[in-house]
Amino acid sequence: MNSQLTLSSGKRAHIMRSILKNKWLYLMIFPGLLYILIYKYIPMYGLIISFQNYKSYHGILGSEWVGFEHFERLFGSPDFWMIFSNTIILFALQLLIFFPIPIILALMLNELRSEKYKRTVQTLIYLPHFMSWVIVVSLSFVIFTVDGGIFNSLLEVLGFEKINFLLKEEWFRPMYILQVIWREAGWGTIIFLAAIASVDPQLYEAAKMDGAGRIRQMLNITLPAIKSVIVVLLILKIGDVLELGFEHVYLLLNSTNRQVAEIFDTYVYVTGIHQGQLSYSTAVGFFKGFVGLVLVIGANWLAKKYGEDGIY
Amino acid sequence: MVGDKAWGGRIFNGVNMVLLGIIGLVTVLPFIHVFGSSFATAGEIASKKFLLIPTEFTLDAYRYIFSTSTLTRSMLVSIGVTAFGTIWSMLISVLTAYGLSRKDLMGRNWIMFLFVFTMLFNGGMIPTFLAVKETGLLNSYLALIIPVSINVFNMIILKTFFQGLPDALEESAKIDGCNDFGILFRIIIPCSLPAIATISLFYAVTYWNTYMHAILYLSDAAKWPAQVLLRQIIVLASGLSYDNAVYTDVPPPSQAVKMAVIVVATVPVLLVYPFLQKHFAKGALLGSVKA
Amino acid sequence: MKRRVAISMFMALTLLLSACGNGNGNASTGGKENEGTEGSGGQAARAKISIMTPLHMAETPDAKIEQLIEEKLNVDLDIQWIPASTFPDRMSAAFATSSLTDIVNISITGANREAIRDGQFWDISSYIDQYENLKKLNPEVLNNTKVDGKLYALYQGRPLSRQGIIYRQDWAEQLGLSDPQNLDELYTMLEKFTNEDPDQNGQKDTVGLAERGDLVSGAFKTIASWNGTPNEWGVMDGKLAPAFMFPEYQETMEFFKKLRSNGYINSDFPVTSKTEQQNLIMNSKAGAYIGCMCDVQQLYTGLAQLQPDAQLEVFNQVKGPSGKFTVFSGPGFNHPYLFPKSAIKTEEKLKQVLAFMDGMMSPEIANMLYWGIENEHYTVVDGMAVPVKEQGKIDRDVKPYNTIEVGDSATNNRLEGKYDYAPMQKAQELFADNEAYVVPDPTLMLDSDTFTKHKDRLAQIITDATYNYMLGEMDEAGFNKAVERWKSEGGTQMIEEFNAAYEQNK
Repeated sequence: MNSQLTLSSGKRAHIMRSILKNKWLYLMIFPGLLYILIYKYIPMYGLIISFQNYKSYHGILGSEWVGFEHFERLFGSPDFWMIFSNTIILFALQLLIFFPIPIILALMLNELRSEKYKRTVQTLIYLPHFMSWVIVVSLSFVIFTVDGGIFNSLLEVLGFEKINFLLKEEWFRPMYILQVIWREAGWGTIIFLAAIASVDPQLYEAAKMDGAGRIRQMLNITLPAIKSVIVVLLILKIGDVLELGFEHVYLLLNSTNRQVAEIFDTYVYVTGIHQGQLSYSTAVGFFKGFVGLVLVIGANWLAKKYGEDGIY
Repeated sequence: MVGDKAWGGRIFNGVNMVLLGIIGLVTVLPFIHVFGSSFATAGEIASKKFLLIPTEFTLDAYRYIFSTSTLTRSMLVSIGVTAFGTIWSMLISVLTAYGLSRKDLMGRNWIMFLFVFTMLFNGGMIPTFLAVKETGLLNSYLALIIPVSINVFNMIILKTFFQGLPDALEESAKIDGCNDFGILFRIIIPCSLPAIATISLFYAVTYWNTYMHAILYLSDAAKWPAQVLLRQIIVLASGLSYDNAVYTDVPPPSQAVKMAVIVVATVPVLLVYPFLQKHFAKGALLGSVKA
Repeated sequence: MKRRVAISMFMALTLLLSACGNGNGNASTGGKENEGTEGSGGQAARAKISIMTPLHMAETPDAKIEQLIEEKLNVDLDIQWIPASTFPDRMSAAFATSSLTDIVNISITGANREAIRDGQFWDISSYIDQYENLKKLNPEVLNNTKVDGKLYALYQGRPLSRQGIIYRQDWAEQLGLSDPQNLDELYTMLEKFTNEDPDQNGQKDTVGLAERGDLVSGAFKTIASWNGTPNEWGVMDGKLAPAFMFPEYQETMEFFKKLRSNGYINSDFPVTSKTEQQNLIMNSKAGAYIGCMCDVQQLYTGLAQLQPDAQLEVFNQVKGPSGKFTVFSGPGFNHPYLFPKSAIKTEEKLKQVLAFMDGMMSPEIANMLYWGIENEHYTVVDGMAVPVKEQGKIDRDVKPYNTIEVGDSATNNRLEGKYDYAPMQKAQELFADNEAYVVPDPTLMLDSDTFTKHKDRLAQIITDATYNYMLGEMDEAGFNKAVERWKSEGGTQMIEEFNAAYEQNK
């Protein structure tokens, strides 16, 4: 305890007592804290290269200081608002379209009577998660290409015009979100299914006694029971506002859709890593973290205001 | 009235089953295509004549990837790292998550914030590399495990589940004279099996997919886990490699090999899955309060 | 009670985990701890040499060849293979943590160039003549690797240009076509491959050209250079200007635009991968492929499985409207080998490393690195190397070592290859034929700070505009606007810097 804290001796004694009372809990947390200290907090000195012209061979101590130059370059870049709005739009798609789907799927799966059927469907919808984006994107190419892709051949047979899915910027966002849904929706149900499995069966028994139908049970028991998990995932999602899966977007990005597809990560990849300009990409990472932090604090505050637990 | 309800319920069930069946098919068809392609000849893949099942069956792709002992050995490494890593990460995460789930813990929100902060900011590859180096983990399997001991996302999910348990559980255990470790291991964990199974699966998949750390921290190629090899094959076969064919005369692996790799990388996880699945069954809490 | 169990579990785990963390790897890689001269009859200690190189195969190779090299050159060799997919990250980590090896196999552009100018690598200009084999390296190619007129690098040779066309000879014969002598004939060929049912199946289901989304190693740059476009930069009114400001570049874009709007090229080419592009040839959907003629072997292998009687042909001399044949040239080397001062601390050590590189250039070792072990991986027929049929064995034992070859067949006297497949053999001859007609990149040896720092970002503006023009999404005015943008975001500066360097070098 820091003696400079002007605490009354009574209060200090109270704090000591409280710590002693929960000594085992503090012991439990200790390894985790030690871990983030060594592998997360100490390495954070790496963030100072955002304010330097970092040269790997001069090291962090030897590189020249440039103040906010990299941040000025980022905010002053003619593309900044384009990138920012693209990022926000993709995030909005993720939040509004993708986020609810695993919840709905989990509720639907929960209603299946046959345990076997349920397990089969579950296993099937997890599968895509194990395909890397490289594969997902190249399979999409094979399906959607104008040059003999299955989808366009189908359109042709049915007498429609071929659609150039891959080289028209208006198709980028639908493609992006569809691929995200296809790959991640099934995997996303796992958490919610676990939450549903944790509901006390006695609650359902009681509801049945009251004559509640299955829909009513879903709305009055299942949903409230998994609400806290939903809120937590929502807050975490909001914190990831500027993290949209670099690899995925990068693979979809091409000259025709750059105006709608360029996001912070892809932009930095070309200007930063390729050029060894680690400072610049670190500065962008810093900015992304800052935005995420503000949003997480905001979302958490809102959650608490409405009587939820939040994440801290 | 009651009959109506039963009919409504039946229609609801039918529609639900059909819908989920369709969704299951849509997700699995591409995978069957991949699976089929891994047994196809190069010619047949190029010809795009089959969608799911090739007409000519060949094991060449599997023969190619298993022709040396490398893949088999690196699979064993992967399995070892996944098993140890998952147990270790679960242990630390459960301890941390439970400690932080207790509302009477002083400074709980501040400590939690410290964890959340690390999700948003990181020092980057090089300082982390130095941390691994300073803690003497370079070129040891531990370098794949210790630096990623806790995934804060997973820890927060665990904590949320723990907080959702009825307080009565802890109270009754306290009356029985258990201390906090006792409560955690005797009451909390057995009552949270769905969550434990879920997060274990998340960790296992993360460890199974680890490859970048392996390349960074393990200079000894003999220690590389299977993903390094598998990813390299996929990247080479997709022509995405750094300094592509301009510099090499090496033809990339065939499409069939690429597809076989996906199968090989996925199957082990699928095998683990049923063991965890039984914990998703309902009623884990049944009778626990009375205990 | 419970607590004790938990804690002892924790301890046991930690022990178990650390129990596997300090074994030493197998003998072929990883450091050997006991240096010195014990036990081997007082023989001098072998020099330890370490090298980092990208791995373009799935797995690290068998150590047999490495051991042979160690024996023959009397060194203790440590090769660190870095999967090509993660090479840049791995390199920057090694750089930053001063764990570079004695020899690094990296590019000399961008950040690495800054590091070279900063004095991070040994200048080897004054040493190279003291080594019998290194002396033989081609001075022109060495020149291309120079930075500020100083020599820092040794190189692995590459033909200056391997560009050409690969086309379906059976289709051409069917339609009464032969080697396209100029761009008009090329256009006619692509047109007929599309419209005149070359595969005789009664359906219009073929395209002329299979192309992929790569302006440099795909067809675009090759056709542009056939058309007389300069290589990246050219001289206009006595000053250097970027290639895209030349009318020939515009014409090339127009050529592609016409091909696409007429359906003579796969219409999704800007996003087509190399695999998909090759598939178009292999399944007889396309009749021509422009790029590295070395791909003919692979294309034929796939094609023959589906169309056993298909024939491919390679050709290089497609002339432009001027009636002259010109083709762009590469730098003539692969990744240069650089010698970091952070790893090589003394001149004595540098000489050891250079002596090793010199040894790598002896014909015996050069053959081993390129072809493998005689009678195991190749046989010698008429003084040429013929690889054994078992491709898998070559892939596993030999191929990865290709990246550490020093020099090329002309300088290290390794055997030339003999290929069973005639067009592949012909391709080798056409590489040599190209050499007399190549157009070099005049900025290769010039320095521009803007280029070093921003080349990728600026190039992207032009790449995007080029594709959009070819797809008809952008007109000439739009393209010119992109050029203006390129200028305003650093292009003008780049032109000035290159021209200043150009004047100095004259």
